Amino acid sequence: MAEVQEKSGGDGKKGAQKKMHIRVDFTPMVDMNMLLITFFMLCTTMIKSQTLTIALPSNEKVQNEENMSQASADDAVTIILDAKRKPGSFDVDSVNGKVVNEVYYYFGKPGGDAGMFGAGGAILSENNNIQKSEFLTDEVNAAGIHTARGIRQIIQDRNKEVLKEVNALKEKYKNGGFGDLETKDGREKAQQAFNEAAAAVRKNENLKKPVIIIKSTPQASFGSLVEVLDEMQINSISKYQIDNMTRADSVMLIDYQNRHHND
Amino acid sequence: MGRVKIAKKSTFIDMTAMSDVTVLLLTFFMLTSTFLQKEPTTVVTPASVSEEKVQETNFVQVLVSPEGKVWLTMNNDTSAAYGNENMRKALLEKAASIYNETHANKVNFTEAQKETFAKLGSFGVPMAQMGDFLNMANEPEGLTKMDNWLSGEDGNPNHVTGIPISWNSNEDRPTEFQIWMKAMRQTDNSALADKIKDGTGVAIKADQNTAFDIVHMVMDNLQTIHMNKFTLLTALKAQE
Repeated sequence: MAEVQEKSGGDGKKGAQKKMHIRVDFTPMVDMNMLLITFFMLCTTMIKSQTLTIALPSNEKVQNEENMSQASADDAVTIILDAKRKPGSFDVDSVNGKVVNEVYYYFGKPGGDAGMFGAGGAILSENNNIQKSEFLTDEVNAAGIHTARGIRQIIQDRNKEVLKEVNALKEKYKNGGFGDLETKDGREKAQQAFNEAAAAVRKNENLKKPVIIIKSTPQASFGSLVEVLDEMQINSISKYQIDNMTRADSVMLIDYQNRHHND
Repeated sequence: MGRVKIAKKSTFIDMTAMSDVTVLLLTFFMLTSTFLQKEPTTVVTPASVSEEKVQETNFVQVLVSPEGKVWLTMNNDTSAAYGNENMRKALLEKAASIYNETHANKVNFTEAQKETFAKLGSFGVPMAQMGDFLNMANEPEGLTKMDNWLSGEDGNPNHVTGIPISWNSNEDRPTEFQIWMKAMRQTDNSALADKIKDGTGVAIKADQNTAFDIVHMVMDNLQTIHMNKFTLLTALKAQE
């Protein structure tokens, strides 16, 4: 290909013209191209970042208290995020070289109906209803059945009714119940119909669903906040909010950690 | 004695086809590439199952370092009227005027300083030092010096890195971070203002190990100036 052959021009009267044989060596060109490709490959970002949209209440302290307490004690699940770090700083743990994320939860009111504080503000350890959990992914057995673990299992237990409906919708979607899945156009339409149906289920007032309150200690990591927001999405939770720690929360957390610091 | 004749073969390999392929690949990468923006600090964003993509244009990125330093990047669309350079110039003017309303030490910027600011990607120095920072562009190797200042590596103890931010719920005395965010909302680029309003226009980028307290402070600052909706930048995690 990279050669040009010149046929000798005519029969020639005085000695045939020499056959020209030109060959261009492309190897350096390829070398250079490879270098350029490497450069562009290393300098580009092919994967775009994902985003997670959150909406927080306005900071004006006109928050109507009624709205906050509307969540009946039955439905409320409080998740508290914490992390072990280098003592007294926000740096990563000097021993492990990483941050150990922890997640705690309790149902209903802090300390149950009796509350955490007795007469004269005494702390009632025996009422402490905080429990520790973990961020764990699903366990998949040989048959391909997913079993939720850790905090996800706790959330799913509380959101059974909604999840049952959503899973039924997912099954319907897979079987083409929302439209043909063969064509791209059909898939998009089916996906949209599914999303609408799922949103309707999440908003359905007749289903029992939890209200999840997410709280974080100052040293908790940003990563675990995103992780817990992810769980909300995975488990179709429609009502959740990010809130500040109350005194009772801190007391319960410290009380729990004091009792279990050897674990 | 019959001798096996070994035919002499040329070892010359034709590289033309190879060259064709590499040129094609090169073209592909050149056309699809968006260069990594140099950022003052490197953060590893947490993984999330969320599938929303980050905005391409018209958004503000708030970069938060694990130490609690904050830098801003303003991305406008590429149309002539609302191009990055015009809008950043307007942003600096807006921010300076809001700053001057509440601070005794007024700041004023020359046209040359505004031009320099318009070319910056990320920025994050206190308003009082902004003038000195922008003047650096005229020095030899000024751009490198500016980058070093932004990332806090220039070794000059007088140079403060990051936009000053503190817990503040008084809207009438905004922190410098709040001043900048307010100014972002007030530039002529209405598309950016709309996106800031619906929450997709503000992206907080923080490291997964950053303490919640620091991110909370940034979020609280935004809440105070009624930017209640915003997005958190995350990396892709496969759906489980």
